[in-house]
Amino acid sequence: MIEIRNLSLWYRRGHKVVDDVSTVFPNGRTIVICGPSGSGKSSFLRCINGLERFQEGEVLIDGKSLRARETDIHQVRARIGMVFQHFELYPHMTVLDNITLAPRKVLKQSAKDAVDRAMQLLTRVGIPENAAKFPGELSGGQQQRVAIARSLAMEPQAMLFDEPTSALDPEMIKEVLEVMIDLAGRGMTMVVVTHEMGFAREVADEVIFMDHGRFLERKSSTDFFERPDHPRTREFLSRILR
Amino acid sequence: MDWQVILRNLEFMVGGLALTAQLAAIALTGGLLWGILLGLGRLSRSPWIYYPATLYVHFFRSQPLILVIFWFYFLVPVITGKPLGTFVSTVIAFVTFEAAYFAEIVRAGVQSVPKGQVAAGYSCGLRYHQVQLYVILPQALRSMLPALTTQAVVIFQDTSLAYVIGLREFLRRVNLVDTREARSIELYCFAAFVYLVLCLLGSRVAHRFERRREVALP
Repeated sequence: MIEIRNLSLWYRRGHKVVDDVSTVFPNGRTIVICGPSGSGKSSFLRCINGLERFQEGEVLIDGKSLRARETDIHQVRARIGMVFQHFELYPHMTVLDNITLAPRKVLKQSAKDAVDRAMQLLTRVGIPENAAKFPGELSGGQQQRVAIARSLAMEPQAMLFDEPTSALDPEMIKEVLEVMIDLAGRGMTMVVVTHEMGFAREVADEVIFMDHGRFLERKSSTDFFERPDHPRTREFLSRILR
Repeated sequence: MDWQVILRNLEFMVGGLALTAQLAAIALTGGLLWGILLGLGRLSRSPWIYYPATLYVHFFRSQPLILVIFWFYFLVPVITGKPLGTFVSTVIAFVTFEAAYFAEIVRAGVQSVPKGQVAAGYSCGLRYHQVQLYVILPQALRSMLPALTTQAVVIFQDTSLAYVIGLREFLRRVNLVDTREARSIELYCFAAFVYLVLCLLGSRVAHRFERRREVALP
């Protein structure tokens, strides 16, 4: 379980990117965070695995505070996967090396175990034939599926998605969403920042609307789309759903 | 003109090239390794690492190499109490000096790698040294290759400065032959020719290497 208490983050004093957010992400749920760009969604997500150094508040993973002296942030990150808007595959390594690097170096898996697991995951995301290729030889959709496989190879307890389909051509969005739907179906805890309202409606258990660094509304996905309370949410939805 | 003087002393003079090559190779590898650490230090968020590294780089970049060579030759024995020997003191001087230049090349190279790569490495649980070693530096080195080649050629030429403390590398030997034979024009023409050929050769090899990397990494 991921618990956030009074989290605030700013880059300049006086302008809070994340403003006093408290929330809980229970295990096994898929939660979508949406909102206008610049609302602090990505920054918030990056606080959860300590990629962003927040100034106030606490992030607790299974009750352990990210900022506590005895917490090893690297061990926490090893158990929380993250998928980025621009994939961020390592361009100088093959697909297989991309996936096996962290399992070998962090989890100390043998090369053979890591490769076996990587091939399983590549099969699961539907591109086992690309194992020996370099990221530059793949389409955007394929690269993002490799990036998901790379995160899954660490056997994470939760996955963070930072606009995973925003950089993709429309015809490739579906193949990535299908992998995410499969993952949600397997009970993975997922926090997804996205503009894909179809995904939010069909797959998410809950949807959060974020604006100016605050969570303005959090509802089950049906209620979020059928009965939004906040006027800003209604305005946002009317603009994005047309 | 008596070009025979070159042939008569060829073996002796070319023998100095072995020392020159040795010195250049150690200065290059040692300077690069130390320069990588300094360059990463220049990018550190910790003031305890950033300021010493920055001071080091600025200090040695402001000094003439010849002074640094003297410095290690004359001053270090006074501090440590025993002489280092010409070769060892020259090697230390070169590594110390060249590392400052490599540090700036490394810093620029590391900064050229997109920030998202660091985030990707960390998000998989890798530690700082693993992120640098496996993710950032391999990409940074690739973009640094042209600058590294230039610096390697400079180092190769700089080794001739070691003659001031009597190290008998190539140029020093040419100089010795000249004092004996008094054939300055022929001998220094020969020296210039040797440097030209070797440096051109070096750049060609590096250029080949760069192009092959480009093909291998689409």
